[in-house]
Amino acid sequence: MKKLLTSILTIFLAMAMVFGMTACGGTEDTGTDKDGNTVVKIMFHVDKTTTEAQAYQKRINAFNAAYKDQKIKAQPMFKARTAGASGYETELLNNQIEGTLADIVTFDAPNTAAYAKSGLLYDISKLIPQETQNKFYSLNKYEGKLYGLPIQESSAGFFYNKKIFAQAGINVDGITAENPWDFAKFKEICGKIKAVGKVAVDMRIDAVKDETAPYLLYPFIYAAGGSFTDSTGYKAEGYYNSAQTARGFQFIKDLISAGYTSYEIGATDFFTGKVGMYLSSGWTIPDLDNKYKATFASRDDWGLLPYPKDAVAASATGSWSYAITNNHHKDKTAIVELLNWMTSAESSKAITDATGMIPARKDVNNNYAQGTPEYTLLKQLEVSGKERPVTVAYPTFSTTFNQIISGLGKGEVSALLASATKTLQGEMDRLQKLHG
Amino acid sequence: MFNTTLIILAVFIIVFLGFAVYDLAVAKKRKQVYRAKSSLTAYLMLLPAVILAFLFILLPILYSLGYAFTDYYLLKPNEINFVWFDNFKDFFEELSTKGTLYNAIKNTLVFVVGVVPLQIGLALLLSLFVNRDGVGSKIFKVCFFAPVVISLSVTSFLWLQILAPGENGLLNALLGIFGIPPHDWLKDPNTAMPCIIILSAWQGCGYQMLIFLSGLSNIRKELYEAASLDGANGWRKFWLVTWPGLRSTFVYIIITVFIGACRILTQPMLMTGYMDHTVTLSYYMYQQGYVYRWVGYSSAVALLMTIFIGAITLIQRRIFREEK
Repeated sequence: MKKLLTSILTIFLAMAMVFGMTACGGTEDTGTDKDGNTVVKIMFHVDKTTTEAQAYQKRINAFNAAYKDQKIKAQPMFKARTAGASGYETELLNNQIEGTLADIVTFDAPNTAAYAKSGLLYDISKLIPQETQNKFYSLNKYEGKLYGLPIQESSAGFFYNKKIFAQAGINVDGITAENPWDFAKFKEICGKIKAVGKVAVDMRIDAVKDETAPYLLYPFIYAAGGSFTDSTGYKAEGYYNSAQTARGFQFIKDLISAGYTSYEIGATDFFTGKVGMYLSSGWTIPDLDNKYKATFASRDDWGLLPYPKDAVAASATGSWSYAITNNHHKDKTAIVELLNWMTSAESSKAITDATGMIPARKDVNNNYAQGTPEYTLLKQLEVSGKERPVTVAYPTFSTTFNQIISGLGKGEVSALLASATKTLQGEMDRLQKLHG
Repeated sequence: MFNTTLIILAVFIIVFLGFAVYDLAVAKKRKQVYRAKSSLTAYLMLLPAVILAFLFILLPILYSLGYAFTDYYLLKPNEINFVWFDNFKDFFEELSTKGTLYNAIKNTLVFVVGVVPLQIGLALLLSLFVNRDGVGSKIFKVCFFAPVVISLSVTSFLWLQILAPGENGLLNALLGIFGIPPHDWLKDPNTAMPCIIILSAWQGCGYQMLIFLSGLSNIRKELYEAASLDGANGWRKFWLVTWPGLRSTFVYIIITVFIGACRILTQPMLMTGYMDHTVTLSYYMYQQGYVYRWVGYSSAVALLMTIFIGAITLIQRRIFREEK
């Protein structure tokens, strides 16, 4: 019996040691490797086999070569965004719980408020000089503090089929980012396209399962003079259901009611010449350049128009950003070095060359010729770019926005907005109670 | 959290070992050497499986149970407070507004009521069809079972192509031949849930078909021969021989299909997004926990859902036991 008990105890102790060691391995991180290098971990939201990841990897390699003598070594981690961005966020939050957060992480700009409020992100206001901050088109700020720097920028617009426009007798000369068209002109052109038997515009109102519709359509609300929340991000009542906001949504509903757009447009209908215009971001440019040659043999066959204005001009902005995390590394010196490197003009150019997106910095010279789609997107970003609402309840905003867009076909705007505002305000109240 | 898990695990192992030691001590006291040796072997071999079951089944349930009484917010993992029954109060308050939660429960019930008889009925029909020694019965078995091995995500995307709105949809194109105008099947509240029910029954019935087949193989052929001699036709053979023979299989299938149906998540998530006309209770729970980050509240919903499913399952067992 004694022998038996001894055996059991031995097994138990061995297991306790194994688990104990695992526990230590999970939390202990000195931040230096065996060669004495200060290791700075950086986590990206893309799969390592993608072109974008390879561009990040090249910049990391260049950093490690440049900082070899200073004994700073960057260590990248690539975590693909499975299940949309939420899969990446789960990874991020698990790391926070386990105490294994990377020193720098990438994150989607609309999450700035929620991540900052929860203490996930480190306030870098004092670490990044104002002169450097001024070089960016946008910054990830919340409650006056800086929490992140964009990797790249994005803007969207209306890609149009020049053959269909010519067939409908539409002349868009003079419509530029600096001098955009208005809601009335937009409807007039839609009417002309419909008159030649084509679907006027794919507004992407069917893309309501993720962030696509909110990202592409929110500028219409701002353009109509509307808004979603107050400046604190805790009040939706009186903003989300205001008359101006309703006007913006009504404009989209009018397009559906008039048969200018619909939920039934196929994903490739614009690319196969069935639709006159297509609302999308800069990532569509490579597709138009390289695919669908039967419809768009060259850039002479398509063009890009800016967002239409109403009370004001507004266009989509925002992409993923870098942030320093509030992890256990108190000394942020080496981490800031890597952040500055990854957001430098050189890195910005290298990464946007790979992705086709707009550089986040104003001092990156891409030599876009006037009149090109890239120039239109860049100018629009400068002139009318307006970020999505900054609120800790952003996921709820995004969900309710999608529900409104989905309901516009049959529902009344006022009823949809009343329901959405109630839901969003309820969530904001809960979060305000939580955050105190 | 990790340390808490280790403590719970240690307590669990100590309890497990306590049982082992007690068993061995009794054997020793009674001088049952053979029993002592075999018990030790049994416990040691059981230990890895017990630890895995504890880590991946029991522990998450325990955590979820505990979180249901806290204000755990995903972005504040280190500031969890005990809030008693606040989450349950919020649940019933939300339910009284007849908002998304109300729709989620309603849609889940509609789905369960629709899919359970349809899926089981289809499975039974298919199993009776392929349970003959006719030509190609094996090919049919493989064909009917094939959707089961395809992931639900793939199946959902496949059906998205079939149900796509406008003339691009395969179903609409087919109906167009007969002059029926295209319809947005998944946006229309009257057709979205029936479409999801049909695709789910189609996807899942192959698995139940196999279970029914194993049940059919246990029915003695002599019973059919005797029924034939008594002049029973096909329907009476089914009703008096096949059906009684399949009763225990049927009970198992109805319970598992019911539980699976209550947990529906993937199809509405991938096919329509978070919309009031298709949101289900599991989807609501996922949205609250992972997208809105209210883990505490989401856990409370999970607990209530578990209680509901458990209660219905017990009622089902009771009903079928009485019939037996």
